[in-house]
Amino acid sequence: MDPQDHWTGNDEERLDALFAAYRSACPDPEPTSGFMPQLWQKIEARERSSTIFSHLVRNLVTAALALSGIMALAVSVSHSHASTLPPESYVEVLAEDHASQDLGYFEPVQVEPAADQR
Amino acid sequence: MLVDFELVKRARDGEGAAFNQLVAAYRKRILGTIGRLIGHPEDVEDVAQEVFLRLYFSLDQLRSAEVFEPWLYRLTANAAYDYLRKRRRRMESRMADLSEQQVVLADALASGKVDRDEGQRKSIRDTVDSLLAGVSDEDRVLLMLKEVEGLSLKELGKIYHVNENALKVRLFRARQRVLKSFKAARKPVAGLKSWR
Repeated sequence: MDPQDHWTGNDEERLDALFAAYRSACPDPEPTSGFMPQLWQKIEARERSSTIFSHLVRNLVTAALALSGIMALAVSVSHSHASTLPPESYVEVLAEDHASQDLGYFEPVQVEPAADQR
Repeated sequence: MLVDFELVKRARDGEGAAFNQLVAAYRKRILGTIGRLIGHPEDVEDVAQEVFLRLYFSLDQLRSAEVFEPWLYRLTANAAYDYLRKRRRRMESRMADLSEQQVVLADALASGKVDRDEGQRKSIRDTVDSLLAGVSDEDRVLLMLKEVEGLSLKELGKIYHVNENALKVRLFRARQRVLKSFKAARKPVAGLKSWR
């Protein structure tokens, strides 16, 4: 039946008829001869780019691991270097340094009131 | 299902010939569906290739035979949606070009350079396209799958992983919006009898 014959009735029916006409206006097209070769080209291009990306990621991860290894080594070296220093704390070292400057013990000063104020 | 699941398994295992067979079995159907979803025949092959490209790289996620077709439809719907979204962006920035294209088409129709039937088909496509401009791209794809492709709510539920009631509500709203535009437009499609 001609789809045009359906263009009667209420709006719901007309819309259904329009969709039916649309379906007829867009039949399943035949693929062109280049469809498969182009598809494989796109697949290979995507594979290449994902390979490059995964290489890049792998290199970045390797570099990050190497860097963290170097940093860990540097930290452990500085720790071992620190362990050769005297074990005292900063305050102890400071106190020791100032030990020669004996400040003695000062008695609290007692200030007696002047005679005229008594 | 148009192919045996064994073929899908072989394609999944990287057998190129099996993938070729898989594409050959489904490409005409997918080309047709995409053509109706996007309404622009000139871009159908590109979008279909994108569907099969996505299929190729996601085959390893496929676990059972019964999910293959809904899954392929899902890839198709997603690729059509992506295309429509990009096209909408392009159209917004190239409105002047569009009107020029319409003038060229009108001239071609007038001079008989374009097949009259093709002119009529284009007119219907343009009418539906403009009616669907009032709904979102997601709703457009959903509505076309239901109204034009004739998929059932159950099938749509499998594709979208949404329950049927939610789909029913969404489809109803989208259809009402299209119906509203349809009533408002009320102009005859070239080559068709009046649809007032």
